Amino acid sequence: MRPYLYIAKVRMLSALAYRFDVLSSIVIQCLAVIASCFFWIAAYGNQQAALGVTRDQMLTYTVMSSTLACLLTMNVENRIAASVQKGSVALDLLKPVNIFGIYLWEDIGSVAIAFLQNAVPLLLIGALFIVAPVPASAAHFLLFILSAAFSYMINWLIAALFGMWSFRIVRIFPLLCMKGHMIRLLSGSVIPLWFFPQWLQTVLSFLPFRYIYQLPLSVYIGILSPRETAAQMGIQFIWILLLGCLFFEIKKGVTRHLLVQGG
Amino acid sequence: MPLIKVNDLVKEYTVIKKGKGLKGALKSLLHKEKEILRAVNHISFSIQHGEIVGYIGPNGAGKSTTVKMLSGILSPTSGEILIDGLSPQKDRKRVVQNLGVVFGQRSQLNWDLRLGESFELLKRIYRIDDRQYQENLAMMDAILEIHKFIHTPVRQLSLGQRMRGDLAAAMLHSPQVLFLDEPTIGLDVDGKQAIRKFVKEINRLKQTTVILTTHDLGDIQELCSRLIIISEGTIVEDGSLSDLIDRIAPYRILHVELYEEAELPIHPLAEKIRQDGTAAVYRFDKKKVTAAQLIEDLSCFCKMKDFRLEEARIEDIIRAAYHKKEKLEGV
Ligand SMILES: Nc1ncnc2c1ncn2[C@@H]1O[C@H](COP(=O)(O)OP(=O)(O)O)[C@@H](O)[C@H]1O
Ligand SMILES: [Mg+2]
Repeated sequence: MRPYLYIAKVRMLSALAYRFDVLSSIVIQCLAVIASCFFWIAAYGNQQAALGVTRDQMLTYTVMSSTLACLLTMNVENRIAASVQKGSVALDLLKPVNIFGIYLWEDIGSVAIAFLQNAVPLLLIGALFIVAPVPASAAHFLLFILSAAFSYMINWLIAALFGMWSFRIVRIFPLLCMKGHMIRLLSGSVIPLWFFPQWLQTVLSFLPFRYIYQLPLSVYIGILSPRETAAQMGIQFIWILLLGCLFFEIKKGVTRHLLVQGG
Repeated sequence: MPLIKVNDLVKEYTVIKKGKGLKGALKSLLHKEKEILRAVNHISFSIQHGEIVGYIGPNGAGKSTTVKMLSGILSPTSGEILIDGLSPQKDRKRVVQNLGVVFGQRSQLNWDLRLGESFELLKRIYRIDDRQYQENLAMMDAILEIHKFIHTPVRQLSLGQRMRGDLAAAMLHSPQVLFLDEPTIGLDVDGKQAIRKFVKEINRLKQTTVILTTHDLGDIQELCSRLIIISEGTIVEDGSLSDLIDRIAPYRILHVELYEEAELPIHPLAEKIRQDGTAAVYRFDKKKVTAAQLIEDLSCFCKMKDFRLEEARIEDIIRAAYHKKEKLEGV
């Protein structure tokens, strides 16, 4: 455990060192969230609710979606890609430690800092200028925390899996970019999926993306029944298991490949 | 019992043959032609505790491949490796606890951290206790003077500093065995000297066993009590540098210059190669006769104005060994 906590700590300290980056990213995020809130205000017009979601719920959803987005940033994919390109992947095997554990804890360290530096200002700005992003109830809030933690794992595993693609594909960065856009669109982070056509919603319910954003956010604003919540969080958990197994299998294959073919 | 034992080691890589030109490229899209490349071909050696061994050979000879197999990050196609009785393949985690490995071309320091933070992380990864850590760090600082840049982010270090950082990092957990793959590559004279001092000192103070690959003759002459020479995947030579010189280049050349023309005699222990007027050239086996003796003998016959001794260059000797030549020609 000790190396992992240390790396999380160092990560937090080094993130604190880049103050200017932080300031500009906060400004950009706030502008983005204000813009999309105005979009929803315009879209709702005089209507109080659309498809069973009130305007204030929708605004809360939007503010929380941006907040979640800054907590779900991670570096594991770039880490793997860089180490494949530098040709130093095999060398990671020299250390008596799990290198993916190091990457995970690095990212967790970044999340802690992003919470203080990005999420808190964003919530404050949202509360001041748009709507107080309060959860439906304390219970909803706790479930949201749990579900958001699951989201983090799903998102991290997808990123790690994409990162491992760099063993096969030389130019991985366009692919990583595409993955980012795909998640943004298909997870309900910008436009909730209930506004999508039914067939697309059906397709998307078989993919992991909606469980990254839409599920925890829906829990937060309280539009899901207890049964729906339980069922969907169950599926969310199954996605973690599925992606986790896939990750370990691929990691085993990659390690075998490295040991046989050299890195 | 030897500390490192390598028995009949073979490594084959599968490489995909690329076709030539457009036609070839299209063909290889449809059907990938594979080829087996044998990088290491039935090598065996043992290394005792505390030795410094130079593992040398031309580019592509299979040095890095061997080092990677010894460190457990590459599986042999066949053959056996034991390091302190353990196989690096079967017991990778235990073997690497006792191993320091540095690749001159690839740093293992964490690029996003300061050098000191990289060390702290390693301390936790290897579970080094505080006292041992402080001791080792102090020793590394005494040898490599790393305190000057310990607070610098690794990405900002110069090549020489980075190399010193990598070496210190490799020794923090007090490994018994250190593998250095071209540690002096690209370094300036001071940088090379620092690395050589480091190898000598850790070998003296901690009896660390070192295997190093290098193309630098200075490294070979200053450090390696033993040379293992590999060429095209096979070991062509295993012994000390002086034995190698004695065997491949046993002769020295004596150039003599006289005040006035005189016929120089034939010496029983030296061969007179030629004489042009006042200049003569002798070749002699340094084990049979010393240069001083030869000069003394010759001065009985004539007045010598000047003389010059010529020896085979280390570079030529090593090149001859690479090409599996028994004797060096010319000298
Ligand atoms: N990962 C690899 N895949 C295929 N061939 C390789 C690989 N690594 C090395 N080789 C080949 O194996 C041979 C030995 O390489 P290497 O051990 O790096 O030599 P050295 O370190 O002595 O210069 C070379 O012909 C090289 O091209
Ligand atoms: Mg090499």
